[in-house]
Amino acid sequence: MIGRQAGRAGWIQWGFVGPTLLFLLAFNVFPLAWSIVLSFRNAELVGDGGRFVGGANFARVFSDPQYAEALRLTARFVALAVGIELAAGFALALALRADFRGKGAVLTTLLVPMMLSPAVVGLYWNLILNGNYGILNQALGALGLPTPQWTTDRDWKFTSVLLVDLWMWTPFMLLIALAALHSIPPSLYEAAEIDRAGRFTVFRRITLPLAAPLLGLAALLRATDALKQFDLVMSITGPNDPQTQTLSTLLFQVVFRDGKVGLGASYACVVLVAVIALATLFTRYLERLRERPA
Amino acid sequence: MRGLARAAVCAYLALATLPLVWMALTAFKAKEDAISLRPRFLPATAAEADPDPERVTFPVTVSAFARLSEVHVGAVDSFWSHLGNSVLIGLGSTLLSVALGTLCAYGFSRFRIPGAKDWLFFILATRFLPPLVVVIPILVMYRALGLTGTHLGLVLLYTAFNLSLSVWLMKGFIDDIPRAFEEAARVDGYSRLQAFFRVILPQARTGMAVTAVFCLISAWNEYGFAITLNASGAITVPAYFAGLQGNLDGMPWPQVAAGALLFVAPIVLFTILVRRHLLRGITFGTVKQ
Repeated sequence: MIGRQAGRAGWIQWGFVGPTLLFLLAFNVFPLAWSIVLSFRNAELVGDGGRFVGGANFARVFSDPQYAEALRLTARFVALAVGIELAAGFALALALRADFRGKGAVLTTLLVPMMLSPAVVGLYWNLILNGNYGILNQALGALGLPTPQWTTDRDWKFTSVLLVDLWMWTPFMLLIALAALHSIPPSLYEAAEIDRAGRFTVFRRITLPLAAPLLGLAALLRATDALKQFDLVMSITGPNDPQTQTLSTLLFQVVFRDGKVGLGASYACVVLVAVIALATLFTRYLERLRERPA
Repeated sequence: MRGLARAAVCAYLALATLPLVWMALTAFKAKEDAISLRPRFLPATAAEADPDPERVTFPVTVSAFARLSEVHVGAVDSFWSHLGNSVLIGLGSTLLSVALGTLCAYGFSRFRIPGAKDWLFFILATRFLPPLVVVIPILVMYRALGLTGTHLGLVLLYTAFNLSLSVWLMKGFIDDIPRAFEEAARVDGYSRLQAFFRVILPQARTGMAVTAVFCLISAWNEYGFAITLNASGAITVPAYFAGLQGNLDGMPWPQVAAGALLFVAPIVLFTILVRRHLLRGITFGTVKQ
């Protein structure tokens, strides 16, 4: 009787977790494996699976200046977006740390942009950023500031995409930074006050180190997301624009406009290495964070 | 210092909200008011219409909303029909991901599963895959199965991509439910499954609602898969808007603003509803407030 119970329990747990694992195998692991197979073939969007071409696709990827450029641009985008959003979010969190009336409402309002659809919001931002009738330039002009052609001037396109990303995702950093600040025990600040520690010392010795783990988590999460940057670029400058060609839009161009499925798959495999590296970093980090006594 | 902080917060509040306020205003404009060279930001009734080209007022009109039922150049169908696709796909995938995610989270929360930690991190890692990396084989697979351009295709795909979020969020919520509840139920003669359905599920209601909101938002906003797999049928709103992009100067801005406004309004509402759980939602349940 006891044996049967244990046997049943050993089966029932897979009944709970099995469907999810099967789903993920079918939609994530299997496509990835297939991607690797395709990356060695010259498959096209129209037609059959092509034939085996060995490492020819990879040779093209690594000798393609477009790919190197997209890699550089994506790296620059991730660094700038994550860096500025983290700094701005943390600064805002410090400003919002104290309680005041209506704080909840203000906070919720600030967080709205990150919940919206980047593709829809990005398309709408074209109206705001328009060089001639956009409200941004009308406002800048009224203040006597320069009014660039945001979305069409090659020197400003990247900045335009970055600006909209900052608008959308600074709240994300703000929310996590605020949680980090609230997790610092007030007793530490009281002790610092007794020791007559200066404002800057308190910030450097208490606030910053104690907020750092959660800020790191926020930066990693945001970096994995920014690495995929696709929606905003597509809706603001479109694919295949050398000034804003990220890895994802390059992939879109290669596969869906040029129809080179095999080549696209090998691009994807190379992107994947970066993603796996970041994901591993993130999960390791999370594990360490969770094992830390709260 | 305090004054400076307050000023910074106020300035940021303006930066964060003004684009959305402008969207709302644009939705009630006629096209020439939306792209006038002088900003027209003051709504006025149509009767007070001012013929001065330098004016800052615009007559309020709801014609943009009325014209959402038109089929625009570059689109397959009207906004409403695409909104219907978004609702159907969003709700379908949300139901499926919350159901599967809750079961899975319960399994990991209450049973000893070999390699549980590795499985959980594997599930989390699937979230990091850029859609454009996996879309190629999925496209090949969907073509073979006849799933491209169908509601079901995107429902299944969004479910797969939301499972990581759903499992991790639900695990956080189920871990918080005391085991004593189920143990008491088991002593009363409930089976494992009965205990799950009659004790755990009612306790996990809030968690399931919060998880559902996050899954719905992520499916609602998704764009990469939507334009690549469903370019020909069951087109969702983000992909529909992308199709209008061809000619920016010919863009029907008031209609775009009206559509965008209707499209983001439920999300704003949901954000307010789950405001206490936003932190959990964006950190996969790893940080609790």
